[in-house]
Amino acid sequence: MSIWPLQFRWLGQSEYLFSNDSGAFFRSDERFLRRYTEERLTEEDYQFLSDHDFAFSDVGDAPFLGHAYHWMKRLNTAAELNYVILVPTLRCNLTCDYCQVSRAAETAKGFDWTESDLNLVFRMLSEVKGDSLKVEFQGGEPLLRLDLLQAVRSFVRERFKHAEFVVCTNLQSVSKEAWQFFESPDTLISTSLDGSPDLHRKLRTKSPDAHDEFLSNLGRAMAQFGPERVSALPTLDVNDLPDPAEFVEQYAELGIHSIFLRQVNYQGFARKVLRQSNSTSWYQFYRSVVHYIIEKNHCEDLAMEEFYLSHLLRRVIRGGQNNFVDLRNPNWLGIDYIVIDFDGKIYPTDEARMLSRVRHIDLAIGSLQTGLDQQKLWQLNQAVSNFDDPDCAHCVYRPYCGLDVVDDLSRYQRVDLPRHMTHHCNKHMTLFDYAFELLYSESPVVRSSVAKWLGLTSLPDNLCLVHK
Amino acid sequence: MIPLQLKVQTAAHAEPLVFRLRNDEHATDILTGKDAVLKSRSGHLAYYDLDGREIQVALPPGETCGNDVVMVLPGRSTAHRLIRSASRHNTLLVTEQCDQLCVMCSQPPKASHNDLFRPFFDACLLAPREAVIGISGGEPLLHKARLFDFLFMVHLNRPDLHFHVLTNAQHLEETDLDFLRQLDQSKITWGVPVYASSAEIHDRIVGKVGAYATLQSGLTILAKAGARIELRTVVLRSNLGALGALARTIATRFPYCTVWAIMHLENIGYGRKNWQLEFADTSTDFVAVKAGIDVALAFGIDVALYNFPLCTVPSNYRIYCCASISDWKQKFLPECDHCIAQHTCCGFFEWYPEDRGFERVQRL
Repeated sequence: MSIWPLQFRWLGQSEYLFSNDSGAFFRSDERFLRRYTEERLTEEDYQFLSDHDFAFSDVGDAPFLGHAYHWMKRLNTAAELNYVILVPTLRCNLTCDYCQVSRAAETAKGFDWTESDLNLVFRMLSEVKGDSLKVEFQGGEPLLRLDLLQAVRSFVRERFKHAEFVVCTNLQSVSKEAWQFFESPDTLISTSLDGSPDLHRKLRTKSPDAHDEFLSNLGRAMAQFGPERVSALPTLDVNDLPDPAEFVEQYAELGIHSIFLRQVNYQGFARKVLRQSNSTSWYQFYRSVVHYIIEKNHCEDLAMEEFYLSHLLRRVIRGGQNNFVDLRNPNWLGIDYIVIDFDGKIYPTDEARMLSRVRHIDLAIGSLQTGLDQQKLWQLNQAVSNFDDPDCAHCVYRPYCGLDVVDDLSRYQRVDLPRHMTHHCNKHMTLFDYAFELLYSESPVVRSSVAKWLGLTSLPDNLCLVHK
Repeated sequence: MIPLQLKVQTAAHAEPLVFRLRNDEHATDILTGKDAVLKSRSGHLAYYDLDGREIQVALPPGETCGNDVVMVLPGRSTAHRLIRSASRHNTLLVTEQCDQLCVMCSQPPKASHNDLFRPFFDACLLAPREAVIGISGGEPLLHKARLFDFLFMVHLNRPDLHFHVLTNAQHLEETDLDFLRQLDQSKITWGVPVYASSAEIHDRIVGKVGAYATLQSGLTILAKAGARIELRTVVLRSNLGALGALARTIATRFPYCTVWAIMHLENIGYGRKNWQLEFADTSTDFVAVKAGIDVALAFGIDVALYNFPLCTVPSNYRIYCCASISDWKQKFLPECDHCIAQHTCCGFFEWYPEDRGFERVQRL
């Protein structure tokens, strides 16, 4: 019998978490760890490992094939282009403190696609091989160029069998025509809603009148289209965090049940204006919010979630959740999705666009005029897999995690820092620790929320293994 | 019950006759020698012409049998309705031989074998477009070479057809992979029964020592061929308590299966003989089935409940129920009158024993 190599992590006291490359995991103790590392496994150990397919007898036998299948399912294989982020204009009608793209003034000239840019976008999209495409309109404020949005949507609907559109808008000023544009079921709204009304006003809308206008537009969007088609994401400043309860209630009242807790990404104006983050208070806040959601789900029989935590839990238990492009392994850049900026330059991610915009580093991978720069893409894709990383290779969370080259470049100007020194790694260690703490929780209140986050009626007792 | 055989009269013939009943003689796509064209009717008797051969068919009340593909064996006066054009439930019984003796078998095996692959092939060529054709037994893979040829040849002529092959996966070898990979696996679903992840329980249920071990290697071969696999588990008192563990094994060891079908017992064949011993009333106690479903779903395995009438299942699990009982052997009970769920419900088998069945059956 051969045992697939186990990685492990200390959980406190004498408890350890073990996992293998397929993402299968169990909890055990220090005595087992010693027996494993000193090659003194007992009959019971072998029995447990073989019962749960942490071992196989022959290459290609049923447990071997199961392991291989899980391993493969967790891979993000490079797919055809199926997702584009388009920036038809960089102009915006707000001046948010932490604006991530160094936006241009509403009246500025030369920050929109020209007619010939639009035609080049069409030419590029017409060369896509697949039959489905997701289009995300970013900005600037895309509604300032509704005409371009309409043109793109018509073209894409015509060209692709399946098409979906997301308009990332501040919902500040929505014309009658824009409301009509939102009416199609294939079109979704993504907006920002910061911690509390006070914070949102302070950081974004500035004036009371403008703030009321935003709130009334958000209310109308929710009433008309519902949470399936409208999402509102917070951007939180760790030095000015809202009260967790008020924060969650604000979303609940609007009927938004999925909250994505995001810290301000220190770039663009934000890097200039705001101070460095304080991770301890952030994670205290994070846990308070999740704890409040769990209690609220229990008391009111709701299914609210923190999006990212739910996403991590699904990646742990099921694998194959590669729809969220910031966490995939390998995280191929510039292949299945790209960003096309207002000036026709092409970037691998939205963050890469921002980094380039603030002249931090030029991560453009081509342009509408010249096409993709394969040499640069190849270089970028050298370090996108955590299989090759000497630190990740030993990590118990490796099968569920991924790398973020652009974030590393943004913070450290290099991609080869030891993992434990990076923000990305610290963040994910903390969040995966928390995810496993919740998975192994014996509290019925917690278990009921975890079940809902996994889309289950109830959480099975034997979902998470323990070996003593 | 919809009759699967029709009384026929025609002149003697040496080979099986396979033809399609065409009720519109003016249709432009009549195939000479394959299509029997309706010439006249007198009461329930219909007179067809098959390229000069007169065939008299007794049509069942209320059915026209138009475009049905039927087979008449030499010396017999019945036509088997192999492919009923109006039905989604058409199954070809390719053999009655089997190497297992499952406690719930609805079609107990026989020793002799009558090879009908050739007439079945002819029938498939006449099937409606995109039809799903079941292949069942007995154990079809006991005649593996013939079956593989049959599937390959049908797809060569009719690539639009879908097959659902029921097999115990006991007769697959690594050497079959070359051939399996030549088949269009995207159009074939392999329905493979597994009753427990304990070899002892599974082997006892299927009446064959070593069956579970062989089943596992059979599944790996299907998986390596890129086959679509439907794992099928009949709920019995013998395996009820083992469903949670089985779900976990399916999720870890057979994650490549397309769906896990949890099925209810059919009161016929050995199922009738063992009904008292093996029928598990899940209408009053769904805990064990729920345990299985919850584990499978948690790990991302799709689940389907076959032969579970909707009212016997807790409301939040009804979305997994399928209208699985074939039209020709489906019935509804007096309790089903005016039930709002009848059109999506599987109903009951024709031979379902109301006095020894589910305790809780109610109108929804």
